Amino acid sequence: MIELRNITKKFYQKTKAITALSDVTLTVPEGKIFGVIGASGAGKSTLIRCVNLLEKPTSGEVIVDGQNLINLSSKELAKARRHIGMIFQHFNLLSSRTVFENVAFSLELDHTPKQEIQKRVSDLLSLVGLDEKHHDYPVNLSGGQKQRVAIARTLASNPKVLLCDEATSALDPATTKSILALLKDINKRLNITILLITHEMDVVKDICDEVAVISEGQLIEQGAVSEIFSHPKTALAKEFIASSLNLEIPVDYKERLVAAPAADKRPLLKLEFTGQSVDDPVLSEVARLFQIDSNVISARMDYAGGVKFGVMLIEVFGTQENSLRAIEFYQNKNIKVEVLGYV
Amino acid sequence: MSDSMILLLAKGAWETIVMTFVSGFFGFLIGLPTGVLLYLTRKGQVLEHRTLNNVISVIVNIFRSIPFIILIVWMIPFTRALVGTSIGVEAAIVPLSIGAAPFIARLIENSLIEVPGGLVEAARAMGATPFQIVYKVLLPEALPSIINSASVTLITLVGYSAMGGAVGAGGLGQIGYQYGYVGYDVFVMNTVLILLIMLVFLIQFLGDFIAKKVDHR
Repeated sequence: MIELRNITKKFYQKTKAITALSDVTLTVPEGKIFGVIGASGAGKSTLIRCVNLLEKPTSGEVIVDGQNLINLSSKELAKARRHIGMIFQHFNLLSSRTVFENVAFSLELDHTPKQEIQKRVSDLLSLVGLDEKHHDYPVNLSGGQKQRVAIARTLASNPKVLLCDEATSALDPATTKSILALLKDINKRLNITILLITHEMDVVKDICDEVAVISEGQLIEQGAVSEIFSHPKTALAKEFIASSLNLEIPVDYKERLVAAPAADKRPLLKLEFTGQSVDDPVLSEVARLFQIDSNVISARMDYAGGVKFGVMLIEVFGTQENSLRAIEFYQNKNIKVEVLGYV
Repeated sequence: MSDSMILLLAKGAWETIVMTFVSGFFGFLIGLPTGVLLYLTRKGQVLEHRTLNNVISVIVNIFRSIPFIILIVWMIPFTRALVGTSIGVEAAIVPLSIGAAPFIARLIENSLIEVPGGLVEAARAMGATPFQIVYKVLLPEALPSIINSASVTLITLVGYSAMGGAVGAGGLGQIGYQYGYVGYDVFVMNTVLILLIMLVFLIQFLGDFIAKKVDHR
């Protein structure tokens, strides 16, 4: 549905050229949600803006719904863009228009008759759950509501493709969830292909089917979400996965933590489950085999694309010898173990 | 104050109002498209065009640097060709419009610059043509600021029209000049001043009121 072939984009500043994208190739199959994740400055914003040619690539091909956009006249391009929806981090609603008029905007561009606009906008606003807000101005809406208006607005022209430029980055976690659920719903219900860029692994985990990792203008890794989560190849991909599973040692444990073992102290372990870890009930196995009790202090486990992964902080109660054997046992199950200290 | 004096002042006030608003109208007629063009041809805008932008910019700057009192005289041949005379309200409207236009163009350009770039980008992404971007996005979004510009312009024009009065444009300016500067009639001069002040306050008040009404930011 979306195909980028060997996209290179250079920006020229005075005398020096900055390469924002180099030789990026990716394909988003119809009906899928494709996520591009990267740190800020990695080129992900430029990448998504190349898809509807808000940014014209220096070289390469952009094919959306079988149409090569690169050589279109500006008139043809404007027409093609009406079938490529886009939503933004900062919503970009017109402050001079009400919610209703904002959604009507893209229909007006096509000179849709008034009656049809009335019906279509009402339908769209109920689709995004804003039935009661027709005559409000954007300034009176919350961030989540604004993004819903933006989604309704972009759906008005019946796009086949939806581009999401950090669409949830300005929203709080709960609102992010609800907007992501809405996007997933749109994807399923209207069969709209979605390409989104984000710096949050949670977004990818929640709704994407496929993901690409971008760094310094290059796609360094791409594949199905389950594949990337279970077998990340690059350090950056691992880092993004870890960032979505970040665990801090609670403060009062931190205060008691010492580096060397002591008679009255117990080891504090960090267990890291990845896609390769054997999916066994390991805690109870360890308890049975080595007479070790484990106190789970903090844990974050997740499930994406059919694999379980996560981290866990446990305090281990047992003899030192048995503790060491337990660690070895975990390691044999491909669970990464780190002794953080003794508490 | 005699009845004839009241009549004279009323006529003068009316002439000033006509000069201000009519030349304001024509000033906008020329200045608005010029300002929009200045904005659109800027670097990074939808119709980016360096040469055109520079040419318009130079013309605007030239007209802005001519002192208004000189502009009136300098334009007399043109004014005569256009309205058939170089004296009176009608004749004053020509240089007033031309004097206001470049000023308005710059104000409009600045108003449009304040419109967040993301809005233009969103409109482009939705397939809006440059023309649609101008009249559906830029102008409505900049409206509160454009109305403020209009107040500033009209108030400036009140002052310009009084200047025009010194060279036969009519209006309160001419009365103030004749009775005040030439005849030194303090009473008439002060009345003219009060009328001008009232006019300026009224324009500012209306401008603020309308700007607030249309501002939903």
